Amino acid sequence: MGDMWILLTVLRRVVVRVLRHVRRGIFLIPVAGMAIALFGLQPWTVAAVLLAALVAFWRPVVAAALLPVSMVVAGISGLVVAATEPGSGFWTVSVLGALKQARIKAAIRRPPVIVKGGVKRAVKRVIDEAHQVPLKRVAVTRVGPAGPRGGVVPVPGSARLNWYPGPVAQAVIPGGGQGVKFQVPAPPVVAAQMVPRGGGTAWHINSGGVVTSGFIAPGHGPWLGGLLVPLALLLLTLGLWLLPRSAATLRTHAAGLLALLRRRMLENRWGILLVPVALLGLTVFGVHPWTVAAILACVVTAVRWPLLAADLVPVVLIAFAIRGFEIAASWPSLPGLQQPGELYGVIVVTTRQLAMLAGAEASAFLVIAAWLVPRTIGAHARTALAPGRDLELEGRVQRLTETRDLAVDAADTELRRIERNLHDGAQARLIALGMNLRAVERMLPGRPEAALALVAEARETSLRALNDLRDLVRGICPPVLADRGLGHAVRALALDTPFPVDLDINLPGRLSAPVESACYFAVAEALANAVRHSGARRVHIRMQHADGMLRIQVGDDGAGGADPAHGTGLRGVEQRLAAFDGIMAVSSPPGGPTMIAMEVPCALSSPKTCSF
Amino acid sequence: MRVVVAEDLFLLRDGLTRLLAAHGFEIAASVDSAPGLLDALLEHRPDVAVVDVRLPPSFADDGLQAALAARQQVPGLPVLLLSQYVEQLYARELLADQSGAVGYLLKDRVFNDDQFVDAVRTVAAGGTVMDPDVVTKLLGRRFRDEPVTRLSAREREVLALMAEGRSNVAIAQRLFVTEKAVSKHTTSIFTKLGLAASEDDNRRVLAVLAYLNT
Repeated sequence: MGDMWILLTVLRRVVVRVLRHVRRGIFLIPVAGMAIALFGLQPWTVAAVLLAALVAFWRPVVAAALLPVSMVVAGISGLVVAATEPGSGFWTVSVLGALKQARIKAAIRRPPVIVKGGVKRAVKRVIDEAHQVPLKRVAVTRVGPAGPRGGVVPVPGSARLNWYPGPVAQAVIPGGGQGVKFQVPAPPVVAAQMVPRGGGTAWHINSGGVVTSGFIAPGHGPWLGGLLVPLALLLLTLGLWLLPRSAATLRTHAAGLLALLRRRMLENRWGILLVPVALLGLTVFGVHPWTVAAILACVVTAVRWPLLAADLVPVVLIAFAIRGFEIAASWPSLPGLQQPGELYGVIVVTTRQLAMLAGAEASAFLVIAAWLVPRTIGAHARTALAPGRDLELEGRVQRLTETRDLAVDAADTELRRIERNLHDGAQARLIALGMNLRAVERMLPGRPEAALALVAEARETSLRALNDLRDLVRGICPPVLADRGLGHAVRALALDTPFPVDLDINLPGRLSAPVESACYFAVAEALANAVRHSGARRVHIRMQHADGMLRIQVGDDGAGGADPAHGTGLRGVEQRLAAFDGIMAVSSPPGGPTMIAMEVPCALSSPKTCSF
Repeated sequence: MRVVVAEDLFLLRDGLTRLLAAHGFEIAASVDSAPGLLDALLEHRPDVAVVDVRLPPSFADDGLQAALAARQQVPGLPVLLLSQYVEQLYARELLADQSGAVGYLLKDRVFNDDQFVDAVRTVAAGGTVMDPDVVTKLLGRRFRDEPVTRLSAREREVLALMAEGRSNVAIAQRLFVTEKAVSKHTTSIFTKLGLAASEDDNRRVLAVLAYLNT
């Protein structure tokens, strides 16, 4: 036990050290290579490996962050493949069994072979013939007629067939599944079909309406037979172990992406929906080269031509509906003859009843499509036909009205704050000062000593009044901001922060004063949050202007939990930025880190020329 | 001692020149804009300049820029900047050339004319004077660091006064202790912060400020 522990510790150290020294991202390539090992040499698997290589060399940090995720995906995929591969019946789950049947469906073409001597002999013959391929395991699915005691009973078997002929057949599921007994009429003549498929043999035996189907798989090499499952489990474990470390890095990248995504959503309203809808298509039309190609095309369309993508969403949904209606209408209702299942959306259709349910699902698709048509195709057509009623313009007007209201409110609140501040601070102190001076005037002739003390007090009061005014003005417009603009002002802000702030500021010029002010107070608020609430020990601020857009990121390594929905600080920032069409995205999960990303479209004026 | 005063508000300019004249300074020139200041500094080469940070033409930090520009042409030209606000960023820029003879004070400090005139003289003599507000902020920034936290409360007090530009004598007066006690504190501070000790007051201030500013 002790030796084992030492071995484990050493192993862990070696792994950690290797991971630290080698640029971890490079491992993304072999993990992606798992796709080829699992699914064969196909266009998409090769594309995945190429993409992994590209990311690993081009963006090693992102690759390193993606590594644990890809390990988890590869591990799960490995387990799923091991489970679905016919032959390794131990891993079989029922949904995947249905998928397997769908693959067998197309195979029933050859005319039946008549075998004399009952079901047992037919099964034996099937197996004998299948022995041409190296037999390792036999999977048997027994299908009986629907009835009070019958039903579909999948019997995953091993090389030993769980088959007990006679008036009562007993199906036994290895591994503790349920056993079901039912009547099997065993006439002397049965029809058997054998169809070579996918390297194995699918077979169906019809004995008086009772159909038994199965699939005999060839023996697997060491890969699928022995190595795959342990390797998949190892990848899954390693991936899950490393996942929390890379989550922080991923989140940082995600915060930037999130802002981009939000902007895109605002821009093209429904176009982005095309991608998930296209993915849904895989469950409706199945995984074929043309469906995969269609998804890629949809992604490109959604990014490049968002308006067209939005128009395509209802069209694609209508196509789904048509397919659903077709399934509902054409599903055969022959008793006894079982058709392999077919996936439609969330339903695996195996019976006529389920086919009807699929029809209902198709109706739901149609309803969504109908709801979307006026919002996409209709709106675009209206814009094209009647430029006067520009829907986008309407939306913009509405947004402007909202943000203008907010801006007016904010200005009003700010004015009130200033008024109250002056009233309670500087004004009150000036009054006190005046009263003091008046008292001095009275005392001077008689009691010059006491007058002197009052003069000192008056001087103190004037200092306090100055301090009040200074603080007030700093809150309205910080001096460095007015003097030198946003970049320097944020630098000054960083200097006043009681812990290290990493700055990466690239602002070769000045912005308009209102934008500068809004952005300054946004950064100040984010920084104040980091100081006050998060317990951060390091903050970084990134700020740059490119393509008419000011991008600001403020991140800290604190405890997280910042939420614009709670508390007025960040919410106020969001509203203030909204007045300039700016947006803010906050990523701050409990436990941190916090990342606040802001984007404001604005122009950069040429740097101020200095006469000295 | 010849002094140039730069302040755009007439009332304050007038008050400053009166105050300085009353303390025996000779007013070489009093100007109200940054270009005027630069010209006056280069023409008169005064012993010290008292400059408002915010000046015309752009009413930004033109006074500071003009002072820095003048010091580039005349290295070590003594300049005392006055402002309604003290900013660490500006203090940093003033201290950047490490040559001393600079001061940066809140305008309020003029209220105490003795201290203010002392500050002007210190700067004229090549010393460095920082506003207590700047020093407080600098110390606040360093409080989480190891070395500064190792100082005792008294040593921190001495450090703050040193950073403001005061000599041992002034610190001793301020804290009501003997000069010897102060020099014991300063030695201890320099040892704890790992700075090279120096007898020269000016060098000492610069070393402390450079340390706090990093």
